[in-house]
Amino acid sequence: MTLRRRSLLAAGLPAVAAATLPVGPAAAQQRFASLYMFVPAGPGGGWDGLARAIEQVARTAGLVGNFQFENVGGAGGMVGLPRFVAQRRGRGDALMVGGSVMVGAGITNRSPVTIKDVVPVARMTEEVGVVVVPANSEFTTIAQLIAALRANPGGVAVGGGSAGGTDHITLGLMLKALGRNPREASYVAFAGGGPAQAAIMGGQVKAGISGYSEFAEQIRAGRMRALATTGDRRSTADLPTLKESGLDVVTANWRGVFGAPGISAAQRQALSDLMSAVHTLPAWREMLTTRGWDDAFLTGTAFGEYLTRDIAATEGVLRDLGLAG
Amino acid sequence: MDAISGLALGFGNALTLANLGWALLGCFLGTAIGVLPGIGPALTIALLLPITFTVSATGAFILFCGVFYGAMYGGSTTSILLNTPGESGSIITSLEGAKMARNGRAGPALATAAIGSFVAGTVGTLGIAFLGPLIVDYALLLGPAEYFSLMVLCFVTVSAVLGGSALRGLTSLFFGLMLGLVGIDLQTGQPRLTFGIVELLDGVNVVLVAVALFAVGETLYLAWRYVEGEQKVLPVGSIMMSKSDWKRSFWPWVRGAGLGFPFGVMPAGGTEMPTMLSYYAERKLASPEARAEFGTTGAIEGVAGPEAANNAAAAGVLVPMLTLGLPTSATAAIMLSAFQSYGIQPGPLLFTTQAELVWTLIASLFVANVMLVVLNLPLVGLWARILKVPQPQLYAGILVFATIGTYGISNSVVDLMLLYGIGIIAMFMRRFDFPVAPVVIGMILGPMAEQAMRQALTISQGDWTTFVTRPASLGILLVAVAALVGPRLYGAWLRRAAG
Amino acid sequence: MRGRGGADRADLGAALFVLGLGLVGVWQALAIPVSPLYAQVGPKLVPWLVAAGLLVLGALLTVHAARGGWSRGIEDLQDAAPANRRALGLMLAGLLANLALIGPFGFTVAASAQFVLVAAAFGSRAHLRNLVIAFVVALGAYTVFVKVLGVNIGAGVVEGLVFGAPE
Repeated sequence: MTLRRRSLLAAGLPAVAAATLPVGPAAAQQRFASLYMFVPAGPGGGWDGLARAIEQVARTAGLVGNFQFENVGGAGGMVGLPRFVAQRRGRGDALMVGGSVMVGAGITNRSPVTIKDVVPVARMTEEVGVVVVPANSEFTTIAQLIAALRANPGGVAVGGGSAGGTDHITLGLMLKALGRNPREASYVAFAGGGPAQAAIMGGQVKAGISGYSEFAEQIRAGRMRALATTGDRRSTADLPTLKESGLDVVTANWRGVFGAPGISAAQRQALSDLMSAVHTLPAWREMLTTRGWDDAFLTGTAFGEYLTRDIAATEGVLRDLGLAG
Repeated sequence: MDAISGLALGFGNALTLANLGWALLGCFLGTAIGVLPGIGPALTIALLLPITFTVSATGAFILFCGVFYGAMYGGSTTSILLNTPGESGSIITSLEGAKMARNGRAGPALATAAIGSFVAGTVGTLGIAFLGPLIVDYALLLGPAEYFSLMVLCFVTVSAVLGGSALRGLTSLFFGLMLGLVGIDLQTGQPRLTFGIVELLDGVNVVLVAVALFAVGETLYLAWRYVEGEQKVLPVGSIMMSKSDWKRSFWPWVRGAGLGFPFGVMPAGGTEMPTMLSYYAERKLASPEARAEFGTTGAIEGVAGPEAANNAAAAGVLVPMLTLGLPTSATAAIMLSAFQSYGIQPGPLLFTTQAELVWTLIASLFVANVMLVVLNLPLVGLWARILKVPQPQLYAGILVFATIGTYGISNSVVDLMLLYGIGIIAMFMRRFDFPVAPVVIGMILGPMAEQAMRQALTISQGDWTTFVTRPASLGILLVAVAALVGPRLYGAWLRRAAG
Repeated sequence: MRGRGGADRADLGAALFVLGLGLVGVWQALAIPVSPLYAQVGPKLVPWLVAAGLLVLGALLTVHAARGGWSRGIEDLQDAAPANRRALGLMLAGLLANLALIGPFGFTVAASAQFVLVAAAFGSRAHLRNLVIAFVVALGAYTVFVKVLGVNIGAGVVEGLVFGAPE
């Protein structure tokens, strides 16, 4: 879907429209009069949320005069990505949101245009995954679940998001680390977080994997039992990571921004300077806290190298899973 | 807080002038958006999300609830008048509704849809307030095996729309199943029937197909058979529902609402399945005279039942969202992200930590429901007059309208080609007497049934008996068998008793 | 249209179309990349079933058509008017006009052209009046969508003139 949002409801809701005009302190120096923000997903999702958060912070601080949004959703970004690449080539005032989902989608769909065709600018946030079991599950520790997976992966049905996505990749890596073939996994893909959570809470599957924030409330209410997180370090003090449980698996669902192909080094630098400026603002910290995002700021060549490694790792596990050609 | 004192508190908040204003704005926007094919409440609320930066949480959610319920009302209007369903839940409504409109009964069709929406909306909202927390735990007991069995049950309903020839009806069904396969396979991430076209990776939109089959195909066929110089104006007839219309609508409303709500509560239920089951039930339960109107001049039962089912299901969707924080529809997912931008974590604790907001929201659903029926009933006469537009401009308008909905949301010429291409196929289907409704049923049920079956088989490690060893699944399958052979056995028994 | 030997050529065409759909289904089922992962029920089973179903139904329809077809039994067709190629041609021209114009010239131009052609198909002679109606309605719809809802339904020449240059 393609949407351009300007002043929403400008006609119907003048009061609201007026209130959303930039009112914050224009302390920072304006870097872009106008910035085009491309979201390869529908409004309301994770990428759209990040794009809107960046807009909110950058515009309020006066870093950017105004933003023009375009949403083209579908297929993990694979519908929007070719359009961004074709229409914005060489434009230094265009940003696209993307992330690990796009890496996987490009590989499983055998798409001719992939995330390699855009210029990495900055990684902004990441979200670690969490391994959960139903509240009344026989498994009370991650060690028990790992033992069951080692003995008979097919017998432990694990629910999560669509096949080839971050959740599926995490399970594949876990089995690989256990010396089993990822293809032995009994992975049940659900369309969207709601049905997946319902299947875990109702005990339809033995375990579930997803982003931590997706399950956080269910864990707190005692409807799911968290066993481990998938990050490099502990996210909460009382939950071990997979790594310290003896499985060398670290995964996270990261999100960031990219520039159009064919932009000059100076244009790329200007974009990453803008993101650095956004990142240092107190308003951005506040945004991270309200949204429950982990800061994962990385820019320049470091981000480029990270991306290359991520693509290689994803490709490897998807090939093991039989989902990459 | 118990439901009664909760509602008292909620109404106290919802009935302030400002909040009534938000509700009215939401109802208006929702109705407007509901009439457009393809643009539904999820997209509208997503577009409205930025107001969460400036408006209080209560005001924003009242607005969203108005949009949500309003879209349900608006969706049926165009289904009936122009044969262009606004969203997937009103596709079944258009089967009988559009036929009624073509035969001078647009007024009663619109009225029964509006009142049915009100009845079902009220039943559904009462369900949210009093039953929600109790039944949601039972809904969680349903797994993929049960959902597969439910879809098998729904496939029985195809028999109600197969038309004169089982051979041609089944061909239509398989065409629909094929369209439903287009896109990325959820379980393996592999593209299927996409012919290498990126735009097809997310599948073909069922509303687009319904509009193509019903509206574009019909218009093309009429042009093909147009007699030069002939100027037909569709009869508008009486606007009011007659006494017999009321009598014939009442039980379908009640049954539709009763069917719809539980499906909405189920995490993988949705609004389409109950509309199909309701249509099937009303067709089977109708008196012989009324049954003759089904598929010919349009039966009012076939509008009242599915429309009520659609609205009650839509209300039911809010139960898992409010009680468990589960987004089981696109609209619920967007609403949950709105909660998050207020720093409210939606989840099983929402009813306790945000009691005031939740009860205000439920109260405002009642308010929106009353507003909508009050707004919509007087509009029935106005809407029905659209049919008085002379034929050339009316059909030209319908096509432009279908284009707006299709192109507007995707900006994709591929979608337009699909709309017109499937429209041309539908024109030939009309000429060769292939029914079009089974295409839509196959397209909706096919992918859901396939995914549920494969999820169930992955969980059971390939054991096919899972569908009959799980008691609930077996029970639903037995109902399906009964629905399939029951009427025949009953008929045979009647003949025997008579003979 | 009707062959003397009992076969109905038009019906035969419809039956062959269904067979063709089945073959497309087979072709696309073959094209699904092999996924050894899901040995029990993979992504290919249902596509194969659907393709096979269409082939069987297409074959049955072909037999039916060869034996005289079903069209002669359709009541609607007995008293239907003869095919009107002018009207159908204008209709299809309207659809094509929209497809061709919406990209380069925008929504208003495309919708107006479509409206005039379709209205002409149904015997309207007041082309100019139709054009005015279409133009006003289309521009109005565009304004509501873009300005109030923020949904872009295809900017182009006219929209650029009225609301300033498209981005």
